[in-house]
Amino acid sequence: MTRVAILPPIVADQIAAGEVVERPASVVKELVENALDAGARTIAVDVRDGGLSHIRVADDGTGMERSDARLALSRHATSKIRLAEDLVGVASFGFRGEALPAIASVSRLTLETAMVDGEGVRLRVSGGVLDGEEPIARRRGTTITVDDLFFNTPARRKFVRGARAEWRAVADTIASMALQRPDVRLLVRHNDAVALDLPPVDSLSARTLALWGREEHARFVELLDVRGAVLVRGLVEQPSRVGTAARRVVVLVNGRVVREPALVRAAEAAYRTTLPSGARPSMVLDVTVPGETVDVNVHPAKAEVRFRDRYAVERVVEAAVRRALGTEESAGWFGAPASGAMIADASASRELQPADLLTAATPAVPLFVAPMPSGAHLSAATSPDAEPIDMTMPSVAPVRDAEPDIIVPTLWQLRRTWLCYERDDGIVLIDQHSAHERVLYEQYMRGIEAGSAAGQRLLLPLTLHLSSAEADAFDQHRLVFSRLGFEIDGFGGTTLVVHAVPMPHPRFDAERCLRETLAALAGDRAASQIAQHERLVATIACKSAIKAGDDLSPPERRALFVALARCTLPAHDVHGRAAIVRLSWDELERRFGRA
Amino acid sequence: MRFTISREKLLEGLNTVQAAVPARSTLPVLSNLLVETTERGVKLSATDLDIAISTEVSADVESQGAITIPARKLSEIARELPPSPVKIASSGEQRISLECGRSKFKLLGLAKDEFPAFPVVRFGESWRIKSSELQKLIQHTAFAASTEESRPILNGVLWELKSDRMRMVATNGHRLAKMELPLGDGAPANPSDLIVPPKALDQVRRLFPAEEELEIARGDNHLGFRSPITSVFTRLIEGPYPNYEQVIPKDNDRICIADRQALTGALKRMSIVASDQTHRIRLALNAGMCKLSATTPDLGDASDEIQVSYTGDQLEIGFNASYLLEILRQLPTDSVKLSFKAPEKATTIEPDGWDDPAQYLCLVMPLRLLD
Repeated sequence: MTRVAILPPIVADQIAAGEVVERPASVVKELVENALDAGARTIAVDVRDGGLSHIRVADDGTGMERSDARLALSRHATSKIRLAEDLVGVASFGFRGEALPAIASVSRLTLETAMVDGEGVRLRVSGGVLDGEEPIARRRGTTITVDDLFFNTPARRKFVRGARAEWRAVADTIASMALQRPDVRLLVRHNDAVALDLPPVDSLSARTLALWGREEHARFVELLDVRGAVLVRGLVEQPSRVGTAARRVVVLVNGRVVREPALVRAAEAAYRTTLPSGARPSMVLDVTVPGETVDVNVHPAKAEVRFRDRYAVERVVEAAVRRALGTEESAGWFGAPASGAMIADASASRELQPADLLTAATPAVPLFVAPMPSGAHLSAATSPDAEPIDMTMPSVAPVRDAEPDIIVPTLWQLRRTWLCYERDDGIVLIDQHSAHERVLYEQYMRGIEAGSAAGQRLLLPLTLHLSSAEADAFDQHRLVFSRLGFEIDGFGGTTLVVHAVPMPHPRFDAERCLRETLAALAGDRAASQIAQHERLVATIACKSAIKAGDDLSPPERRALFVALARCTLPAHDVHGRAAIVRLSWDELERRFGRA
Repeated sequence: MRFTISREKLLEGLNTVQAAVPARSTLPVLSNLLVETTERGVKLSATDLDIAISTEVSADVESQGAITIPARKLSEIARELPPSPVKIASSGEQRISLECGRSKFKLLGLAKDEFPAFPVVRFGESWRIKSSELQKLIQHTAFAASTEESRPILNGVLWELKSDRMRMVATNGHRLAKMELPLGDGAPANPSDLIVPPKALDQVRRLFPAEEELEIARGDNHLGFRSPITSVFTRLIEGPYPNYEQVIPKDNDRICIADRQALTGALKRMSIVASDQTHRIRLALNAGMCKLSATTPDLGDASDEIQVSYTGDQLEIGFNASYLLEILRQLPTDSVKLSFKAPEKATTIEPDGWDDPAQYLCLVMPLRLLD
């Protein structure tokens, strides 16, 4: 008797089902994807008991003929590709022809479909065996009902969790898919109660607004950038709102929800230094790349993709997120943002097509171009400075040339702590310490990268007596200190002799900066090797920045403003606090009862 | 109190004391001037508690008295008055009336008693110095004092008085200026080291005519300068001044003689491209030639050459151009002498061929050059 035998198709399907159909959520995912591939405009999902007893997905897509419907239930039957070559650049969600037979093999499945209103067919399959076929009258489209999932695979059933947990998974799946196709209406019921009713909208942002509600949606900044053939859209959380609690992360690649930790890491890298450690930003990334540069056929559930050049895509994602965080939208609002405007924006604006972007990348609204009152337009080269010309010598190096796109508004200093100016949409407050910290951080990092940090030799060397923890901290960071422009003799003991210091600004107090930096580092054991020099630079930037309480002369204020405007992440300091806060006219008017 | 004064004399007096009126103060009386009648006229005084200035201007005094008057308002009024005699009178402790032609003002002042007393200095033990000599020292050294608040001692100018010479030194820890003059008669009985805020020295330079002989005296913690008309008092900065002699190099053996104008011009050109923060420029010295260059990563670079007389091995050294320029601006000769030892050691700059009893030396610490 031969010991090796080809498995009967039913067993093979059950095995395959193990890959594709892990739990009710995966059934919902496959069925909704099929509906989307069939061109549905409306999809209704009914779930009972977390999907364990009943899942029904009804769409108004193209439907199938009777013979196609029968074939669809056998393995590797698909309408979506014909040849192996079609796999390259495949755009439909499904294509493996596995889902339906796999689901059918582990449940009691009913398929009703019609290509024309009134002329439909109903097929019943139980545990993979066809046990009924009858003509029915129904509307165009397809409805698939899955009852008693895993009734014939007790092993699998044991690993499924309770109805509540499974419903949460189903809801998460549907939420992600809702972002894939904002233009499709989704109606979801659980145990006959409407759980989600999302109208068709024309942008991702409008969909997230409907999905999350206004308050949650307001935490996010929109993302839109294109480099080469890579288009990145989405939403990223404002750094000032990021917490350590659970976060939402949805990554779409060519419209397909995938697990792509590398892209999430790239986006997080863009946040670097704007977040306290441990904070994880929420995000929705929608990445579009040319079909032929990505392989989606590497995972049965297509939860993973493989890029031909992943590094390039990561770079675009990081740059896009960084750019979004550099815009005004990422600065925290005081009070609620203008109500109504956001909805109008989201629904009225036509979503940008990739083609529009390739010709003209949309400029992010720069925070530092103070919009001029209408009629007061000036030639780009002159800086309209409302301040009277100041004849006193500026104590901060004067700004070389105001770059044409940096228009310095009149800046007031409040409580020797904040700089304040007026914009079209409200008042902007800049924390002078946080802002200067950000400026110095970027300046130091550039200096380190370029190896151009200058150290001013001291006529009278400084002597510092340290605790042993501080001395250890110095030893650990010796190299970075030297690359920043410090020249320090350590002798391995607890006494340091400082011969040269960087001169980042005229108020710089090298001794105090060093003392405070080393004291801060001494109490810090968490820093990983990689983050160490960034941490050190962040600490030094903090300790060498001007403080709250420093009186800034008008030229100093302007110099700080211009330097901040040149930063890549002006709205956030290196500890994740806001450097800029905006107070909208709407909020002010509301407070004064003028609204 | 009642007196009549010409508009010009009033303005002259106000201009003299104005520098001591604080821009803003928590003590309201400090924004007022103290006006007192004297035998020759009226005395105006102002103070911000760091320095105090008083000056006497001639006036016709009808009745004696004293009162304080808001300084800014009085100056604004005086500037706009017609060119007629100004009659000022006080009634009660606070009311002041001012009349000039048909213009009339009534102001509210504060009682004289609220005005802080001027520091006590012992003019009985004073010494005398010609104003022009003091001014020469101040002009050549005070610019080098620190403006940073972290080391208050460096915010002052060290004034060393010996029996036969006096010297001023100022430094901010990166550059230093030192000048010494022989003293004739009238030297102080006791040698002393005084650390004087530059703000007071600026006023000494501004207010006293060059030919005047100044009387200088100290109190416990103050210093006073006076001429027959005007007095300036200042708080002294306490503490030991760093041992600067120790850091002035004696063995710099690479000597460069350069034309001051040429060097200044080249430095100014390089500064345009040098970084905003460090103003870093590079000097490369070789036989007979000094090459200057500046590079800023996101901007560009520049270079220039001037002919110099240089003996010594080839040398490359970095500087903050603004420090060099400040020193060159003060040097009194067309030719300057720079002495180097090594790229990390102090460089000295002196006048070359200066026919003067004074000795002048400046020092700059280099910027470290990487690469």
